[in-house]
Amino acid sequence: MAISGIHLTRIGKGNFLLEPRRSMNIQDQNMLMREIVATVQSAQGERLYYDLDGMPIIDEVYYDWLDKLARTCGAVNIKMVCINMQPTAAFTLSKFLTTKPVFETALAVPD
Amino acid sequence: MVQKKEIRERLAALFSLKVGNISGQLEETGREFFCANNKLMDEDEIADLSSEFVSLISALLSSKDPFQRTSPQFHALEIFFSGLSQRMLMRGGHVEDVVRYAQQLQYSLISALEVDSGITFTQSRSVLQFFSQHFDELIMAIFRTYLSERENTLKAQEAELRETSTPITEIWDGVLTLPIIGTLDSSRTMLVMEALLNRIAKDHARAVVMDLTGVKNIDSQVSHHLIQMVRAVQLMGSDAIITGIHPEIARALVSLNIDLTGVTTRASLSDGLKEAFLRMGIYVTQKTN
Repeated sequence: MAISGIHLTRIGKGNFLLEPRRSMNIQDQNMLMREIVATVQSAQGERLYYDLDGMPIIDEVYYDWLDKLARTCGAVNIKMVCINMQPTAAFTLSKFLTTKPVFETALAVPD
Repeated sequence: MVQKKEIRERLAALFSLKVGNISGQLEETGREFFCANNKLMDEDEIADLSSEFVSLISALLSSKDPFQRTSPQFHALEIFFSGLSQRMLMRGGHVEDVVRYAQQLQYSLISALEVDSGITFTQSRSVLQFFSQHFDELIMAIFRTYLSERENTLKAQEAELRETSTPITEIWDGVLTLPIIGTLDSSRTMLVMEALLNRIAKDHARAVVMDLTGVKNIDSQVSHHLIQMVRAVQLMGSDAIITGIHPEIARALVSLNIDLTGVTTRASLSDGLKEAFLRMGIYVTQKTN
């Protein structure tokens, strides 16, 4: 499933794994959200695992992107789960977060 | 100026006479302080120490301006005493021993020179003044080294204490416990948080039980850090459970308007572990025959 800047893979029934590449440009977030949701929805996906393994820092701009994507997914009954959040990213994010994020978090994709 | 030059020439001439003898007498002083009871040095080391000191003081006296305490020759002497002080402290010696040794070295040096030259320095105030000024500065170098060593030791002990006072233990596969004992301040909370988050990533811990039984008081900033720590643990995908909150801490958290929504709390560490097991689908039962 070729979407510019991301790698979206179907993993098991109803689950998708999203791995952002370095080339992903969150300035194009409207296009990205549309294509991601369309792909998952067309395959009757229920859960989107967003892999944060390569993100040592999550700033407010990136958090805003995650928040919008999770809300968009939520609007079509797709649950977004962020996985592999790095300690440094969790640390920085916890500093400016005042409410619970819209997305869920997990250590990794469940077995 | 002429007087200074005269003293310098006289001292240099004195040192060129019988350096070997002086070195021998200085060795005696070294033996008295570092070999007698405490065995901080062996004979060879004492001999090396004395001859090094004699060559350094000779270099100072034959330098362009021996009165100048910014000269490389005087700096070399300072390094000599700093190194000696550091070595003795590391071997369990006391700073007093090194200071007394330095003072004794001064007296031995003067008396050895008196004997060799046949001049009574007590009648020559300028020579005594020269030595006492230099040795005062060298003793200061000893104290500076001592204080810096003590400071380093205290810092190392403090770091060690911090590490041991917040042990993160994997009590079950995927369950970490963090008993916090003593006073929580901001810097300690940050250290604990860093260690905890790294440990979650390393062990893939699914639940963390933070036990505050040993925490007696908490302030506004620390309570925010605590909530931040819980939030960071949850962001990594683990469950955070806080246990053992004292009534006084609970009251403080309420009066500080700390929002505990979304934070799981249990009365004791045992209850916290039960909750963690429950969430992970682990059931601990008594074996029946």
